[in-house]
Amino acid sequence: MRLTLPHPGSLVALAIAALVIGGFSALLMIDGEKPSLLAIGPYLTRVLIFSTTQAALSTLLSILLGVPLAFALARRRFIGREFVLSALGAVMVTPTIVTVFAVLAVYGRSGWLASLLKALGFSGDFSIFGYPGILIAHVFLNAPFIARLTLDALDTVPAEQWRLAQSLGFSPRQIFRHLDWPVLHAELPGAAVLLFLVHFKSFAIVLALGGGPSRATLEVAIYEALHVDLDFGRAAWLALIQVAICLALTLTVNRLWTRPPVSHTLRSTILRPDAADRRLYILDIGILSASLLLIAPPFLSLLAGLSHVASVLDADFAKALVTSVVIAGLAACIACILSLALASAARRLRLEMRLPRAAEIYDLLPNVLLAIPPFALTAGLFLIVRPFIEPSSAGLILLPLMNGLAAVPFIYRFFGPKLMTAGERYGRLSASLGLRGFWKLRIMDWPILRRPLGAGFAIAMALSFGDFGIIALFGGPELRTLPYLLYERLGVYRLDEAAAIGLLIVIVSFALAYLSGRLSNAAD
Amino acid sequence: MLLIDHCRLTWPDFKANYSLRVETGALCAVVGPSGGGKTTLLHMIAGFEKPESGTLSLDSHDLLPLAPSERPVALVFQDHNLFPHLRADENVALGLKPSLKLSADEWLAVAEALDAVGLKGFKKRRPGEMSGGQRQRVALARALVSGRPLILLDEPFSNLDPGLRRDMIELVDSLRRKRHVTVVMTIHTPEEIVDVADQMAFVANGEVIASGTPKEVLHNHPDPRIAAFSG
Repeated sequence: MRLTLPHPGSLVALAIAALVIGGFSALLMIDGEKPSLLAIGPYLTRVLIFSTTQAALSTLLSILLGVPLAFALARRRFIGREFVLSALGAVMVTPTIVTVFAVLAVYGRSGWLASLLKALGFSGDFSIFGYPGILIAHVFLNAPFIARLTLDALDTVPAEQWRLAQSLGFSPRQIFRHLDWPVLHAELPGAAVLLFLVHFKSFAIVLALGGGPSRATLEVAIYEALHVDLDFGRAAWLALIQVAICLALTLTVNRLWTRPPVSHTLRSTILRPDAADRRLYILDIGILSASLLLIAPPFLSLLAGLSHVASVLDADFAKALVTSVVIAGLAACIACILSLALASAARRLRLEMRLPRAAEIYDLLPNVLLAIPPFALTAGLFLIVRPFIEPSSAGLILLPLMNGLAAVPFIYRFFGPKLMTAGERYGRLSASLGLRGFWKLRIMDWPILRRPLGAGFAIAMALSFGDFGIIALFGGPELRTLPYLLYERLGVYRLDEAAAIGLLIVIVSFALAYLSGRLSNAAD
Repeated sequence: MLLIDHCRLTWPDFKANYSLRVETGALCAVVGPSGGGKTTLLHMIAGFEKPESGTLSLDSHDLLPLAPSERPVALVFQDHNLFPHLRADENVALGLKPSLKLSADEWLAVAEALDAVGLKGFKKRRPGEMSGGQRQRVALARALVSGRPLILLDEPFSNLDPGLRRDMIELVDSLRRKRHVTVVMTIHTPEEIVDVADQMAFVANGEVIASGTPKEVLHNHPDPRIAAFSG
């Protein structure tokens, strides 16, 4: 009997399942007293109420700013518009710890806004910690994401329909009703749930700007249980509850979001007829100015670090930089390999085996990873490897693994559709020519895949390079990444140095995001 | 009469200079190789492209100063003619009033237009519930109900199978005779329209190379590009 090896995608799916089950089991089975769910009830209720409230408010505000910004950008053509569009994409990869610094630098007690108000004669005791800081940071990061997403969606309206609108003399209201609203109606519910999920899981921003343990998301509560109280049982309960909630949200996103993913803006060349409306012109100028006022100052605050760059270039910095690059590179490799294997398995099920339902499971798996709390999983895996290796070495293994897994949901959107395209176009031809394995990859897939692969690798590296998540568990003198170094400098109020480190992190992250955008915009 | 006289358009990679005359009530088929400028000609007549020089008039009325919505022109494209969230009758009604606030008489006119294109009983259907041919009929009904005297059809039936294409061309022919409208239609397969078109214009490299009856253009014209196109 001939033994058939399972498809690499099936192996990857099984490995991910084993990691998750193993990690959570280790957390639940560790020796020691375990609190019951009832015992943590009041604490859990408080955490859930705060998580939900801040996530709902952040989502609402991001949409309220992001959608009008998208319309203003869709209607207007101005010098520097392309730069603004690129900047919107770049803001999305701004590391959260850098965002924290920037928000403090602008809106903090001794920040720019406070100085300005003081100079104008106002003296109010305004604290950024708590809801204000969290909401500002979330909106700063995610209103541009919503704007970019909406702009991409608006650009899917066919050129013929814009010409019909012109020819039939649609008013701005009719354009909104017949062309824009159907797009928003299809796009926004899914985007809103995704954004809610991202805010619900928020870690670094809530940890740094929450202002105390009374304001914790589930993710922060898990971190505190593991890192501060060493209460693994509580962490396990919190993690399971987070998995249940986030899984429900993920499945909702999957159901609501039916538009095929596009990795770049299609950008319509037709000028919208409502661009000529005078009232909309004034409104758009107002929206663009307000957005500029929200987004520009935090970035400008980083520029203050320019004059202090020389002072941070020491041995600690060099070591942290090398660690960050190595971890980000490994994480990107892991994310690309896993995504490729899963996407390839989904394609095989769809095109060769005619099992679209089964293929959907592989499509769903990357999104399911969004629901897994990284701290709980990391802690569980750490408990498994702890008897064999030192904590800092464990960090070096677990950090790339967890960052790689965290990037899979984003990278998969680069590969999945492209692999399907290659299969649909050349699958039968390559089968008739007998192309298999490496040669199938080399001749059929590689020409279509190489640019998305580069784009995916760059964005995965950018996400990992700026990540301040798992490193919070393992970070210390033995293991420092650049975001951790920034966190340390913030903690001892060396703000100029923090600005310089933040600036360098942002430059690398933006360069990687720019490279990703260039590669994904390039034609096949 | 539709009169186009030396209308010039320039892009970095394409130049066009159109001259064409189409009699009122005629069906003019615009043929030619892909990328030759057929669609650009229609877009210029509709007002989406503005010529740098030349004249463009319909029945002696200058069209050039008019915005697309002010021109006496109705359009049907190859695809995406209908708004998917609207019913068939609402899509047709857009041709009368984009606000969709129609009087009873106007709704009657919409129903009649749907009837004229053979879609009686389809008014409540949405585009997703109709075949490709039915969707193009709805677009045609909208062009008719708008009452505009010039209808531009940009390869409207290319996505349909040959039998249906013939039926649709016959429908266009009978409707324009009944309603006395002028039709300018781009088409990939000239042989399908030879019997019904009054006039044919061969467009290549941004120019109308030849214009006349289909027989004159396709069989008796000396330009080698026409011979190469028609095989």
